[in-house]
Amino acid sequence: MHAVPRPLELRLLLPLVILVPLGFAVTHIAQTSTLDPGPMAVAIGYVGLMLGAHLALRLVGNRGDELLLPCVATMGGIGIVMLNRLPQELLGTDAFGVRFGMATTQLLWFGVGVSAMVLLAGRFRDDGVLRHYKYTWALAGTLLLVITFLFGREVNGARLWIFLGPIGFQPGEAIKVVLVIFIAGYLAEKRTLLAGASARIGPFSVPPLPYLLPMIAIFVIVMLVVVVSRDLGTALLFMGIFLTMLFVATGRRSYVLLGILLFIAGSFVAYNLFGHVRIRVDNWIDPFVDPSDRGYQTVQALYAFGRGGLFGEGLGQGLPTISGHLPIPALPTDFIFAAVAEELGLIGAFALLALVMCLVFRGLRTAMLARDDFSAMLAVGLTVSLGLQTLIIAAGNVKLVPLTGITFPFVSYGGSSLLACFVIVGLLLAISHRSVVDAQIEGRGQ
Amino acid sequence: MTGEVLRILLLVLQLGFLALLYLILIGFSRALLRDLRSAEVTQMASQSGIGRLSVVESPADEPALGSAIALGPINSIGREVNSTIFIDDDFVSGLHAMLTFRGRSWFIEDQGSTNGTYVNGHRIDRPVALSFGDELTIGRVRMRLER
Amino acid sequence: MIATNVRRLSVYLLLAFASVSGALVWWQVLDAQALATRQDNPQVIATRRSLPRGSVFDSQGRMLASSVVTDGISRRTYTDPVFTHLLGYASLRFGATGVERAWDDVLTGRTDPNPLRDLLNDILARQPEPHDLTLTIDQRLQDFAAAQLGADRGAVVAIDPRTGAVLAMVSNPTYDATGFSGDPATAQAAFDAVAGAADNPFLDRSRQGHYTPGSIMKVLTASAALDAGAITPQTTFTDQPREEVEGFVVNGFTIREHDLAPVAPALWDLSPALQVSSNIYFAHVGLELGAARYLDYARRFGFCQALRIGSDVRGLPIDPSYVSARADGGCAPFRDEVELASAAFGQAAVSVTPMQMALMAATIANHGAVPQPYVVRDLRSHAATPAAGPTDSVLESYGGGRGNPAISSGVADQVRRAMIDAVLGPIGKLYAGAGDVTRFGVSGVQTAGKTGTAERGPGLKPHSWFIGFAPAQDAALASIAVAVIVEGGGSGSGHAAPIGGAVMAEWLKLVGTGG
Repeated sequence: MHAVPRPLELRLLLPLVILVPLGFAVTHIAQTSTLDPGPMAVAIGYVGLMLGAHLALRLVGNRGDELLLPCVATMGGIGIVMLNRLPQELLGTDAFGVRFGMATTQLLWFGVGVSAMVLLAGRFRDDGVLRHYKYTWALAGTLLLVITFLFGREVNGARLWIFLGPIGFQPGEAIKVVLVIFIAGYLAEKRTLLAGASARIGPFSVPPLPYLLPMIAIFVIVMLVVVVSRDLGTALLFMGIFLTMLFVATGRRSYVLLGILLFIAGSFVAYNLFGHVRIRVDNWIDPFVDPSDRGYQTVQALYAFGRGGLFGEGLGQGLPTISGHLPIPALPTDFIFAAVAEELGLIGAFALLALVMCLVFRGLRTAMLARDDFSAMLAVGLTVSLGLQTLIIAAGNVKLVPLTGITFPFVSYGGSSLLACFVIVGLLLAISHRSVVDAQIEGRGQ
Repeated sequence: MTGEVLRILLLVLQLGFLALLYLILIGFSRALLRDLRSAEVTQMASQSGIGRLSVVESPADEPALGSAIALGPINSIGREVNSTIFIDDDFVSGLHAMLTFRGRSWFIEDQGSTNGTYVNGHRIDRPVALSFGDELTIGRVRMRLER
Repeated sequence: MIATNVRRLSVYLLLAFASVSGALVWWQVLDAQALATRQDNPQVIATRRSLPRGSVFDSQGRMLASSVVTDGISRRTYTDPVFTHLLGYASLRFGATGVERAWDDVLTGRTDPNPLRDLLNDILARQPEPHDLTLTIDQRLQDFAAAQLGADRGAVVAIDPRTGAVLAMVSNPTYDATGFSGDPATAQAAFDAVAGAADNPFLDRSRQGHYTPGSIMKVLTASAALDAGAITPQTTFTDQPREEVEGFVVNGFTIREHDLAPVAPALWDLSPALQVSSNIYFAHVGLELGAARYLDYARRFGFCQALRIGSDVRGLPIDPSYVSARADGGCAPFRDEVELASAAFGQAAVSVTPMQMALMAATIANHGAVPQPYVVRDLRSHAATPAAGPTDSVLESYGGGRGNPAISSGVADQVRRAMIDAVLGPIGKLYAGAGDVTRFGVSGVQTAGKTGTAERGPGLKPHSWFIGFAPAQDAALASIAVAVIVEGGGSGSGHAAPIGGAVMAEWLKLVGTGG
């Protein structure tokens, strides 16, 4: 391992040196109506962290995709500018007797996430640990699920949190990564068999029973997530990841169709069983029925989109607080996309979506260039988990699908989510690194 | 009036933020486009073959360690000099195994060798479908199937 | 093979991102305006809560509504409850109604009438500046009309037939909206008190009240039949005298004349038939005209559709009036000839608003064109001390436009003469004579009019109606057209006609008779 240059990455990261401090200054000027850029420590810290991540990737000799980090860093930059401009006294974390603002807390988590990413990108060279112990990973995931069920704390009707002292932790984020690893391992091994022989149930061709069973198991686990965490968003995400990976491995649309039908059936049961789910679905159908109570957040988000218009209210000039309260309580997490769309307008929201798409396509490209099936499936799964998560929350914000409480990757406030997202990018960098290195060896060989 | 000046300045800064954001996006799209073109080239090059075996372990260095052997649809593996994949190893039979590409996937079938054929460490007794990334062990030689 | 599937997957993902983008375009651009004006929009509420709101003045500059911001809460005061239905209220709790709602964005200053300024204000995020409104209504006439109604339930609408300017718009009973437009803490109690009151004070009877019109509809029947050439002013129907005694049998159903009292049955033509208000005559006219043409003319007069006071962009909605049963927001075809014949004298399923009736009278006065009504005369920059009157800087003024021709000018003249006879003719003065303005101290002026006594079924006292305009001797002179309804007021001549006459006379005294 020796240092490598990553010139494209550096070039794409450099504009952040202006972008993030500019965002901090603009919001401060807009909010105070004075020509004072305000405190810059968090902005400088953030830019420093991202440049540091770049240097660290060079030092550990990662030759992986050079667009991933700048993509993520720009998204995170927009996020931290938004978090910094929100009323800080309302949200934030108390830890070790010090009160951290939201942006500061988020910056700390960025630090943790980036470290994890660099570690994986640099040290993770042999995927055997993931591949050969896939059942162990599946067991670990199930265990986490059980722990959440037993010790989880309920927030907004969904049991998602485990608290270790003052630090809250969402096991769903870890389970997501573990799930991807397990499915990738399983499908890479059984792919040819799943794609080949098949039995038929009605109009659907299904894989033979021995191969069907683990898939049913995964389905049941996903449905368990709904029951345990009562969280429709996570269930939708898990199911989406599973079906997408199944499609990529086998190329069979009928499996996906069958899965979707089963999911709809399951959701229907959940709708009738859980009031929490029912409220969300009813709100989705018409939030204006009860705009001041149950439909409140959805309606407020729609107003935020409406206020934004084409060019936005202007950074720092949107999100009117009503007697010191944010119009949307879950704004920093579930509705950060609406906040960006309000202040930066349609063009700002498009920019954010474009960044996510760039990230997704780079991830898929990594999958296509991977030298072996497991790496390819892993890259697909990891990428899709980021892409689908964005789609589900963004579509929920704009009322295309029922709103669910999941985060916008790299932009939303939240430590567990941020860490999981950086772990994903770290793994993608590692996979990408290996295919680049292999291709070079091969090139030298010929 | 100073308020008005401040508002205009703020507007300029806000537009600057958006402009910078789009400048970054242009940078991304240029990188993406350039990459797409080169990716097409590499893909055209690599799609001419249906797969290759890269040699992970080879005590006698025949095949050479680290080398990649391009595969045809039907490959014989053995100590026989005329084998598609010739392995110079005492633990390998003359015609040890057949590696064939049928339909959409690779299959390996042992040809009654003395020491057997292993896939990912398991000895096989019938034709087995392979995925890219699977490891074959024939004699003391370990090879990985890659695309 | 994985590579192929990944490529397919990327297409699906692209489609998904495209649909999210499409939804964004919908909310942020296409539907943004609709969202921005919704009453439950927090921004609408916030500006209403804490920002100064423009004042409203009558046509003479008397203050009708004004706001003061105290302790960060904008409190609104209305000076005259007689204007409540028209102005509406702007409440933090209950949203806004009336003019307050239709003009909300300019009153608060969220929108500037000058598009360039509006854009600049928006881009530079300037603090909104309120604007003031001036109405076409003179408070003196409005108050006078309200006083005439007294404690009776009903409505008075007066329009300048030449311009469509609304001169009075009174709905009784009314209420004081200051209570629930002011302090949100005490708003609920004030609101509940009104909501719980008898006779539904919230209803603006002038534009939302639906009433059977009775005989005043004969003006429409006559206008339509004359214009279509179905009758002339000299047309008579042979069997009239007999039918006036025995009843007119249509499809086996007998239509009976109302009590003609002192008048003996005779072979009347248009003018005397309108004077005695013969149901039999107008039933014949309606049948002569036919269902299709009747509906067509009703629509030309504005029936069967939602109208607005003001423009389509910014105006107060008027409930549609109907000549037959309601169907899909318009009028259904007449079921049979019985319904058509009954509708021709204002019974059956006919259901009208006082505003529509005033427009009908104004149409006859306005050479046969339906005036486009408006009630906000101009928009001005905000007066710092509203009690001292509006500023002189008019930012925008409004008018009603030329109006839509419904019947020819010649036919309008024939109907006008018949309506003058209905008030001043030898038989007519026994009925609508009570609406003659000369009885209220105005001389040298003829009055055109028609009374109506709308039967409501057994046990219920009929509604009392009057429509009219003055001066009527020359269509060019007519400066006021009125419609008056007194709910359960009995005969038209007894209750509504004197109110109509008095209101018209009061207006002529205020502005002069115009020579």
